[in-house]
Amino acid sequence: METLTQDTISLLAIVAALMPLLSFAGILLVPGDRNRGSFFSILNISTSLVLSIIVFINVWNKPQLHQQIEWFTIGDWHFRVGILLNNLSALMLLLISFIATLVHIYSTKYMEGDPYIFRYWAYLGLFCFSMLGLVITDNLLLLYMFWELVGFSSYLLIGFWFTRDTAVQANKKAFIMNRLGDLGFLTGIMILFTQFQTLDINLLFGSGGFFEHARVQDGLWTFSSNNMNAVWLTVAGLAFFFGATAKSAQFPLHTWLPDAMEGPTSVSSLIHAATMVAAGVFLIARIYPVFNADVLLVIASIGAFTAFMAASIALTQNDIKRILAFSTISQLGFMMLAMGVGAVAPSIFHLVTHAFFKCLLFLAAGAVIHEMHHVKEEKGLDFDHQDIRFMGGLRKHMPITFATMLLASLALVGIPLTSGYLSKDAILIQSFEWSATQSAWAKIIPYSALFTSWLTAFYVARLVFKVFFGELRLNALFNQSFSLHEAPSAMKFVLIILALFCLFPVFSLNPLHYEHAWITEGLPYISGIARVNIFHTLIPATVNIAAVFLMYLAYKWYADNQKAPDFSGSPLFKFSQNLWYMDKLYKSVFVNGIVGLSKASFSFDKGVIDGIVNLFGSIGVVLASIACWFDRKVIDGLVNATATFSRTLGSFVRHFQTGRLQHYLLFMMLIVLSFFVFKYFSHAI
Amino acid sequence: MESIIFYVFAAIVLSSALLVVATRNLVRSIFLFFITLFSMAGLFIFALADFVAITQIVIYVGGVLVLMIFAFLLSNKQILNDPEPLKSKIIGLHHLPGIFVSLLFFGIIIWSLTLANTDQLDWIASSGENTLKPSDNTTHYIGITLMTKYLLPFEVVSVFLLMALIGAAHLARKEREI
Amino acid sequence: MIPLSHFLFISATLFCIGIYAVLSKKNAIMVLIGIEFMLNAAILNFVAFGKYDKFNASGQVFALFAIVLAAAAVAVSLAIILNVYQYYKTIDPTRINKLKD
Repeated sequence: METLTQDTISLLAIVAALMPLLSFAGILLVPGDRNRGSFFSILNISTSLVLSIIVFINVWNKPQLHQQIEWFTIGDWHFRVGILLNNLSALMLLLISFIATLVHIYSTKYMEGDPYIFRYWAYLGLFCFSMLGLVITDNLLLLYMFWELVGFSSYLLIGFWFTRDTAVQANKKAFIMNRLGDLGFLTGIMILFTQFQTLDINLLFGSGGFFEHARVQDGLWTFSSNNMNAVWLTVAGLAFFFGATAKSAQFPLHTWLPDAMEGPTSVSSLIHAATMVAAGVFLIARIYPVFNADVLLVIASIGAFTAFMAASIALTQNDIKRILAFSTISQLGFMMLAMGVGAVAPSIFHLVTHAFFKCLLFLAAGAVIHEMHHVKEEKGLDFDHQDIRFMGGLRKHMPITFATMLLASLALVGIPLTSGYLSKDAILIQSFEWSATQSAWAKIIPYSALFTSWLTAFYVARLVFKVFFGELRLNALFNQSFSLHEAPSAMKFVLIILALFCLFPVFSLNPLHYEHAWITEGLPYISGIARVNIFHTLIPATVNIAAVFLMYLAYKWYADNQKAPDFSGSPLFKFSQNLWYMDKLYKSVFVNGIVGLSKASFSFDKGVIDGIVNLFGSIGVVLASIACWFDRKVIDGLVNATATFSRTLGSFVRHFQTGRLQHYLLFMMLIVLSFFVFKYFSHAI
Repeated sequence: MESIIFYVFAAIVLSSALLVVATRNLVRSIFLFFITLFSMAGLFIFALADFVAITQIVIYVGGVLVLMIFAFLLSNKQILNDPEPLKSKIIGLHHLPGIFVSLLFFGIIIWSLTLANTDQLDWIASSGENTLKPSDNTTHYIGITLMTKYLLPFEVVSVFLLMALIGAAHLARKEREI
Repeated sequence: MIPLSHFLFISATLFCIGIYAVLSKKNAIMVLIGIEFMLNAAILNFVAFGKYDKFNASGQVFALFAIVLAAAAVAVSLAIILNVYQYYKTIDPTRINKLKD
């Protein structure tokens, strides 16, 4: 393909991002059938895919493409936004559109029969648009907007079956936790803006960018004329990492991801396995120069801890999707760990390979769930169709699903000849090399990563063996003989394509050495880590031998029914099965705390503030009643008293008119006498 | 000697007057009034007004009193019924205003009499010839003045008597049913 | 002979007795008698002063006229009392109070 101009490429990239938005708007704004939208969405996303391929070809390993337009002006200061296409963004663009297309095709069969499927296509379109936009934007503010949009579409999709209470609770939880992380992101943006007066990614983090010119000396973070206390750099780094923590489900903001499995499985595969949760890792890669050594250490520690924690929880879960969700958290922890030790390229490599095999795992699990649900509906039984304790021996009924899932599991474990082996061992080796240059305490991180890989092997094997081997436990439960079908062809097709990407040839022609994979050659590779040759052979060997052994152990325990030792009484088992009591802790501390605070402020508002207002009101009423009393008793009383007085006087005087003659005579004489007396005595006095 | 008789007459007047007002029985009081009028005539004699005394007896006692006696003796029985309730007290509650006023009047009159000092009035002391003597013929003087000086009142009184006669006769007539 | 003040005293007494009879008697004829008392007291007063007026004889003439008028008054009064009785069926002045307020 001839070289296209920069303008054309950026236009293609923008159009690629906008196509899914077209499907979102088109489906929701144009009224029609309830089942509309599948063809239109697939058309749009495939167009996106084609455009992404073109863009990728034109951008990979070529000079980066940076185009801007002016958005708004404040005084002399111009705010520009645009597109930044470098290796990282082009790779992500391709990955996202590819996986999205496959999930769209899968969803046609998986979501068949859902009454309001047009909403599904619309939301999926919104998600794809926001994810694609997130990877191509060059401005932190726009990235933040797309970040939020991604969170929002995740909310919409988790709660797709909103009539179920668990789905509603889950999507609320996901959204709130994401918003919490967004606070961190925003804080980071504000700090950066204060220091650098710009949010342009290229200007800040690119080669020759501001970060390279900024110095940290004597406790001050200096850049041209701005000075800030050096602690702000650390704070900014931590803040950005906090945002990534929420999006990528790291400790402590990981509890939303298992609950997000309430959404349809195809959604889980796209969003919560392959793409959205990878956005956090992508962000860290994008703004990597922000993090100083302390923050990187924090990132690595949290990544390692999360990986270990999630793997330990996945050991005891029974819901197939939950196991995969915790597996996702664990692998994201790996990616964070890699970022923290400085191995950016292996981290992104692992992101790409993880996208493929995790998506495949979810879609295959979706096929299994679909079939189990079918059986449940047909026979009218009541059991949890996602519980692996009711499955078993499905490899006879669903061979293709079994084969693809097995391949994906091997990739997840990191068996050689799979793509996962390359990326995962890259991370492990790099982390060991890094720890060799650090203090002794730093060794905890790679060793815990190693241990987590072994746990990964075990729980994945448990999953596969429990689901696909042995006898269908449903038969024993209901004393019937059930038969399940293979997945429909649309789903099979997608599974097979994804399975192909789990193998090594797509990524590297050398199955054993990751350095020659074309991805790692294209991504920023921190060469500050000294190569220790012994690690490059020792670590893969250790990991894989132990993994094989653990898988054999799992086979012994789970492939035949009832052979597993029962640990359910031990406290470690309970700790793991209750998700390390994190959910309960959060609920009792934060949720109840906030609810209590809200109740307290409501009662304060009602009692005190309304009380004060009502007090004034009642004071007014009292004053009014006093005035009324005064008016009625005193003022009216005066007037009435005058009337009453004249009446009383009149009545009194009236009684003299008795009508009796002798009384009249009496009074006449009395008056005459009094005249006489008065006249006479006044003279005498 | 004369003053004793005068005081006796005075006592009879006053006592019979008191008895008139004290008696509940109407007939008795009229007859006691009769006695009072007679005694009044006696007092007139002592004031050397013999013609007035005789006139009093003839007209007052013989005319007025007899008229009164005949008026109620010949009228309905209900008139004679004593409307006064039989109270044992003479001084009942409803008498008090009358007693009070009359006593008050009495006091004031007596007091003004004492102030006026009637026994030493100038015009009486200097009247000399004008004072009546027991040997004078008052009839002579009354007759002369009645026809000369007091002619108009004399005629007016006669007209007045005519009016009274006609009036009384009209008032007391019996209604004829037509 | 008999001092003037004695006559006047008697007349004052008689007058007050007459007032009493007028004011507090429950029989109209007793009221009439009271009026007669008062008239008589006045006549006595005239006569007592008339002693000192021989040639004009005004005191005694006046007394004569008073007697005549008293007679006329009694006649008319009795006729009125009869009429009052026919209308009110009583001659108790305390019961004739139709003109009261």
